[in-house]
Amino acid sequence: MKAISRKRWLPLLAAGAMLATTLAGCSGGGKTDESAASATPSAENVYKEKYDPPVTISTAWGVDPTLTFKNGETIENSVATKWAKDQFGIDIKSLWSVTDTNGAFGTKLRLAMSSGQEMPDILTIGTADNQIAQDLIDSGMYEEVGPLFDKYASDTWKAAIDQDPNVWNAYMRDGKKMGIPVLDYAYNHDYLLWIRQDWLDKLNLKAPTTIDEMEKVMDAFKNQNPDGLSPDQVVPLSIGFKTSMNTWMGDPSWIFGAYGTLPQQWNVDADGKLAYGSIQPGMKEGLQKLSDWLKKGYIPQEAALWDENKTAEPAVAGTAGIIPGPYWMSGWPLKDTVQNSPDAVWAPIEIPAGPDGKAMRHGTQFTNGVTLIKKGMEHPEAFFTYQNYLFDNYANPEPGSQYDNGLFAGYDYQLDADGKQLPIEEIDGGYVNVVRYLLVRDGARIPDAQMKALQSLAEGNEPKTKLEKDVAVNYGKETPAAAQVLLKQDAISYKNMFSGPTTETMKSKMDYLNKMENQTFNEIIYGKKTADAFDEFVSTWKAGGGDQITTEVNAWYDQVKK
Amino acid sequence: MKTLKKTWPFHVMLLPAMIFLIIFSYIPMGGIVMAFQDYKPWLGISGSEWVGLDNFRYLFEREDSVQVIWNTLFIAVLKLVFNLIVPFVFAILLNEIRKTALQRGIQTLVYLPHFLSWVILGGILIDLLATGGLVNRVLGVFGLGPYFFLGDNDWFRFTVIVSDIWKEFGYSTIIFLAALAGIDPSQYEAAEIDGATRLKQTLHITVPSLIPILMVVGTLALGNVLNAGFDQIFNLYNPLVYEKGDIIDTFVYRTAILNGEMGFGTAIGLFKSVISMVLILISYRLAYKWAGYRIF
Repeated sequence: MKAISRKRWLPLLAAGAMLATTLAGCSGGGKTDESAASATPSAENVYKEKYDPPVTISTAWGVDPTLTFKNGETIENSVATKWAKDQFGIDIKSLWSVTDTNGAFGTKLRLAMSSGQEMPDILTIGTADNQIAQDLIDSGMYEEVGPLFDKYASDTWKAAIDQDPNVWNAYMRDGKKMGIPVLDYAYNHDYLLWIRQDWLDKLNLKAPTTIDEMEKVMDAFKNQNPDGLSPDQVVPLSIGFKTSMNTWMGDPSWIFGAYGTLPQQWNVDADGKLAYGSIQPGMKEGLQKLSDWLKKGYIPQEAALWDENKTAEPAVAGTAGIIPGPYWMSGWPLKDTVQNSPDAVWAPIEIPAGPDGKAMRHGTQFTNGVTLIKKGMEHPEAFFTYQNYLFDNYANPEPGSQYDNGLFAGYDYQLDADGKQLPIEEIDGGYVNVVRYLLVRDGARIPDAQMKALQSLAEGNEPKTKLEKDVAVNYGKETPAAAQVLLKQDAISYKNMFSGPTTETMKSKMDYLNKMENQTFNEIIYGKKTADAFDEFVSTWKAGGGDQITTEVNAWYDQVKK
Repeated sequence: MKTLKKTWPFHVMLLPAMIFLIIFSYIPMGGIVMAFQDYKPWLGISGSEWVGLDNFRYLFEREDSVQVIWNTLFIAVLKLVFNLIVPFVFAILLNEIRKTALQRGIQTLVYLPHFLSWVILGGILIDLLATGGLVNRVLGVFGLGPYFFLGDNDWFRFTVIVSDIWKEFGYSTIIFLAALAGIDPSQYEAAEIDGATRLKQTLHITVPSLIPILMVVGTLALGNVLNAGFDQIFNLYNPLVYEKGDIIDTFVYRTAILNGEMGFGTAIGLFKSVISMVLILISYRLAYKWAGYRIF
């Protein structure tokens, strides 16, 4: 050892330093356990408007990558956490946060769960990570929320959730409510048909109300195109089914709806049981219709290869006549059509009815995630204090009230010297979508609030409330009209009634059944098989596990229906 | 002992890399046991239920498992073979171009597609290969087609393989060009004096000199024999071509990833690794036996 001169230690030191950095990199995620330190639970856990002394809620954040920060703030320590402290006496303690790119939040949650780290008291998980939310519920780490919600939630919140009590279904276990659904605006992915009104006008045609009328319109669009396009350039109806027959833009499911079923979702049948839409007799007629339309060139020849965004391409290029899609499409992408076809006018119309007057469209769940409450959380009522306040005061603020302009001055709005709102680009230091700093994504949304705001605009009223002003500014100009069309057909909107966890047989069989279904349907549409292949598919589907899945799905449904 | 005294600083410097390897490559291998479990994240590896070979059984008991495995092998093997032959021949041809600027230009041009992702290329190909697209219009001039390249079971594999080769051959060409540059010019000079034509020079000098590197590239590529190219297939396939285009990876994506079935995903990964290792070992022996070349 003595022989080693001082100089020789250098590489060792260097290596040691490298090692240290490597290891430091590994340990960064693992925060130390310090939760047990807080005060002993008091005997009476009463709900308060403001807690004194302050109470603590721990949480974890998946930070939206597009979210910005100003004034040196972080998600752990922001204007919203300060506000929670001042307004309610709630200390929001962050266990960890991660920028949610490529599902990083889900991955981190999974790791935290399986490595036995301390889990947050309040955890909001988006629909994209639904599987993890379901796993967390099954893990038994999170509390039954039903009684807490009944006891503490405000009337506004309860009324909002009662707009569709089925939102609870996905988070039920043995009749117990295990997670509070995060409410979203209703009808976001319900669809209607967007049609080129200028083409209709030039051809002297009325907007189609039935499938038969629609065929005539499509034929005219194609063969006597008012813009002078040759027939093979025109896509009369832009739809695609690469991933699914039941999607959001370029969706074909209403064509089957005209014959009484919606594919790839679970519908309530005449006996009040759930039945899988894709195996109902109406499918056969729908498939024949689509096959016929493909042959006549009414739908894209590559429809089997087209996903949702691809169906928007001909619509934007000005070569498509009709595209099914959500009410907000006039803002994006249809706003850009005029650049390619200056006279283009897109108008929203109702979903056409089938031969016996039936029309159906698929509905949108009113949720975009779930909030879980940890077992043994000391002050669950504090979370309700926070959330109730948002539902009562922020979800749909009255004109002139505190949150009429936005949540926090200098973040999502700013007033000039005369008390008028500045355009958001002129906010000092930039606009921040500050609702994303709150414990629950988007703060608080009442499902029908946005539709009501749009309807009020459609009736010609001036925008008065915050929501009305928002939609008037941020959405395309046809949006109020579209919302009205959508609401007019409210009765034909059918949601997927199965929202529970994947059942045992689904795990092993569903992928194959889906694959077979997609393949058979596409082959029928493309004329590679006759429509009789459908009957064969139905019997294979039933025998290949479908009947068992149906039984399991109904067992789940019986349990949540109560 | 004496050498150790002299070289120990280097061993110390190697240490972080070794520790890194152990932590991030060897320890995670313990996760392989998940392949034999019904893995539930909250129960962890120690708490999840052991299910023996159930995960593997599921792969082989599916009605379409033969189809899926066959598709994978078919597409992967053809890609592997042609991704050796095409760059090999192309490199030799390119090497014959005397003008350096032209040679370099072509080289850069053919290897550019390598840097495009399949997400982008997928979109481009769907347009190019549409029944009214550019390719079919050109074919139409010669009275051919139109062909439904991406929606027809007879054409789908062909399209996948050709487009993959088009994307990747330029990149492999570079390796062969580097090997070509290493051939001793005196061999060609000697051959020329002996009266060998260019063709003979190529056949008897160039090709044999390239065989060892061909073996290396080929052996390494064999490890991918069960990877038919997830990103490419995923972006191009559709229900019409499931029969000929659905591969192990796309099917794992749908069942394991989308449904969070980690045990099953691990089982497939293990299955693929074992097959690949066996193939690599075999080809390693063969390369040594026939070409006298040791890779490792």
